[in-house]
Amino acid sequence: MINVGIIGFGQSRFQTKRTDVTFPELVKEGADLALADAGITIKDVDAVVYPLAPDALIGVGNGERWVIDALGATGKPFMRVNNGGATGMSAVLTAWTHVASGLFDVVLVAGADRVSESGSAQSVLNKMWDVGYERTIPLNTITMLALSAQRYMHLYDSDETDMALVTVKNRKHASLNPYAHLRTPITVEEVLASRTLAWPIKLGDACPASTGAAGVVLVSERYAQRNNLKPAWIRGIGQNSETYWMGARVGAKSQGDHADADALAHAFDIAYKQAGITDPVNQIDVAEIYAPFSSVELHVIEAAHLAEKGKSPEGLRNGKFTLGGSGPVVNPSGGTQCTNPIAVTGTIRVGEAANQVLGRTGAHQVPNARVAIASAIGGDHQFYSTMVLCSDLEEIS
Amino acid sequence: MTTNKNASAKDGSSERFYEQTWDLQYKHALGRTVSRFLDGLAEGKIWGRRTTDGRVLVPARSYDDLTHEETGEWVEVANNGVIEMSTVVYEAFNGLPKPPYALAYVMLEGADTALVGYVKGLDLSVQSVAIEAVKIGSRVHVCFAKTPTGTAADYWFELDATS
Amino acid sequence: MSTTHLGIAVIATASVEIHHETSKSLEEMIFETSKRALNSLGLSADDIDAFVLGGNDQIDGRIISIMPSTGPVGGVNHDTTMIASSSEHALIYGYLRIMAGQSKRVLVASWAKPSESVDPDRAELVSAEPYLLRSVGMNETISAALQASRFLNGKVVNTNEKFVAWPLTRKDLPGRGDSVHVVILAQEGSFEVESQFAWICDAGWATSSYELGARDLANFESLKIACNQITQRNLGSSPENWNAVEIGASSEYAVNAVTEFLQLKVGISVNASGCLSDQFTSPFVLGLSRMMRAIEVTKNAKSSKDRYLAAGIGFNGFAGQGAAVMVFSNTKGVHND
Repeated sequence: MINVGIIGFGQSRFQTKRTDVTFPELVKEGADLALADAGITIKDVDAVVYPLAPDALIGVGNGERWVIDALGATGKPFMRVNNGGATGMSAVLTAWTHVASGLFDVVLVAGADRVSESGSAQSVLNKMWDVGYERTIPLNTITMLALSAQRYMHLYDSDETDMALVTVKNRKHASLNPYAHLRTPITVEEVLASRTLAWPIKLGDACPASTGAAGVVLVSERYAQRNNLKPAWIRGIGQNSETYWMGARVGAKSQGDHADADALAHAFDIAYKQAGITDPVNQIDVAEIYAPFSSVELHVIEAAHLAEKGKSPEGLRNGKFTLGGSGPVVNPSGGTQCTNPIAVTGTIRVGEAANQVLGRTGAHQVPNARVAIASAIGGDHQFYSTMVLCSDLEEIS
Repeated sequence: MTTNKNASAKDGSSERFYEQTWDLQYKHALGRTVSRFLDGLAEGKIWGRRTTDGRVLVPARSYDDLTHEETGEWVEVANNGVIEMSTVVYEAFNGLPKPPYALAYVMLEGADTALVGYVKGLDLSVQSVAIEAVKIGSRVHVCFAKTPTGTAADYWFELDATS
Repeated sequence: MSTTHLGIAVIATASVEIHHETSKSLEEMIFETSKRALNSLGLSADDIDAFVLGGNDQIDGRIISIMPSTGPVGGVNHDTTMIASSSEHALIYGYLRIMAGQSKRVLVASWAKPSESVDPDRAELVSAEPYLLRSVGMNETISAALQASRFLNGKVVNTNEKFVAWPLTRKDLPGRGDSVHVVILAQEGSFEVESQFAWICDAGWATSSYELGARDLANFESLKIACNQITQRNLGSSPENWNAVEIGASSEYAVNAVTEFLQLKVGISVNASGCLSDQFTSPFVLGLSRMMRAIEVTKNAKSSKDRYLAAGIGFNGFAGQGAAVMVFSNTKGVHND
């Protein structure tokens, strides 16, 4: 199989609104930043894969067509991916396929989002659910994750303080990351005192609606060799899907409980097997794993096999998963919980993980990071993308 | 179509905005199975369908996504069951109902998947009391609308008196 | 690249095209069509390594349509991706996965159910950028008309038919209806020889500027680039070698213009499966529906001793902003003759 690596990652500084640019201009920003970081121009790019999740959030149907000029994709092979919240990373996996096919040496993945542009994001997202059965109930991303958090607490005798520990860690990390949206450190007490959105999810547990752009550049091994480049190598990838029906994720006959992320664990297993990872806790240095809410990070850490089921809170209490502590560091960038421009949030996970193994991250660098994992989640916790990155192509032992 | 001129941006130029709404209307074909389930609500019944591996799916579906096969037998399930997961919403979202309200996924007796619905008839003003009332394991029964609309709004849950 | 000497073939297809499906939900239509394709081979969803979906949220009234459609295609517990830019791109991505050695058998499904939209033209209008184009009013029909007017070169249109958008009458335009298309692709060695419908020779695709004023609508920029990609890699699969072509263009004017533009073989069969207005389709899936027809035509040439090439062409975006081409053959191999 052809080896594929990441040679560039660009991101804008994320914030609630960007009133200084149109959407295409914002996309151009992401593309330009990624290309600049890679040290190439759009002329060097053979194909483009574009991440865009619900069109309704940016207000233009098939919005990918509108931004072709901004991306510099005119005249090039181009396609768009929409896997819900996982899109930013599914697009990178789609780009991986483009390079691994042997047809393309350099592929750009770049896009943007402006979630707060639409004044009604949650009512748009309400339409994710079944047309006949679930539209009269106000399900949305917050309520669906509230249900999962409640079940996790019930199954594992956990509580809202455990969730708050995640927020404290992520905000501390984000304070070191100049690109992150929410960067103010916070205490457990402040999280617990914040207002309830849908119990047990409070404002202090939730991600912001972010605006900004991001992109990565993927190259083939032969291109990297010809041009003397040192990419972050993609050593393993995995994708998996689970049932759309949340009611099927409870009860004696369910395949996986809504408290857990078993289908994500399976996606990680596929990526780990490809990469030769047999002992995640000791072989992985960094995990940039998509978790928009604090409660989600608890079970994603477990799905990545960085803790046993129900045990990630204990790890957090013991200082694990945190910059400066021992073992794998989870979301040193602050993660999706601190920055969530939906269409590209998965791309940022990949870019951050790539920078970590190349030692280029800055203040939130994990010392001597060599192996990193990245993951993303889409739909109602339905689609999972995972990736293992390494600074070299040697055996991971 | 309106344009708004805001106060000047930092560089002295004014920022313009353009407000747009997507006013798209849909008429979704529900198919026979979903239609029969919704008709069942008018009769005070909750219908499920059995999969080839024996599970009763509620609400009824014409095929199962795990076995990837059509479902068969119609099974009427009980109108009472247990809360498997729930939440109480306190935040208002544009376009969604005024809070507070409680939602739950309920495993009705005889069913193998849980049905989602509002939990009504309880006092939600004190959060700690509300979340205790709808906690996992609470027993509920289904209530049906007196004037059915033919939609999923025709049923909801209420707590059993003894829970 | 160890897998390039292995061929990639279409091993099953299934479609439904109907004027207006009122008794089944979109998801039920997708389920039935996917099952038909799998059952034709005696396969189950577990025999498929990856699922690639193509759907247009605005036409169907779903948000993140991969969510309700993964179950129906059999994608639960499998690797599923939605390519949302066009149905042809979904097929092409499925093909790339096998070329990369990433998958051995891929199921591609794409659909459109415009009957779900009270006003499908209005659903197309939201694809117009909001600052200038949307207030002027743009949709697939109008942009097709603009493009067709470029082909007229001042000629008068003589017709008794009513114009939908001058110079196009109903007969010039693709028909509208509900459809689902499923294709199963497989790597050589992963299927029974008898089940092979058509080998895939190559695919090319490209896009161009969104701005209608920035390009000459009569000059099929994207299509030219897409065909050049194929010609450069596989000279023997280039347009002048095609025996048949199925073109999913936005008007019959465009079909004729494409045929001239590509300088195809004299006597080549063009849209032999039928004219655009006879189809029940929607712009999003029109291209794939024509690729399916090209596959069908190739399947019929299976036992021929001569090499037979059929191509399917699709466009996406107003007035053919993007184009995609896939070339099928009754014989396998990387053709560099």
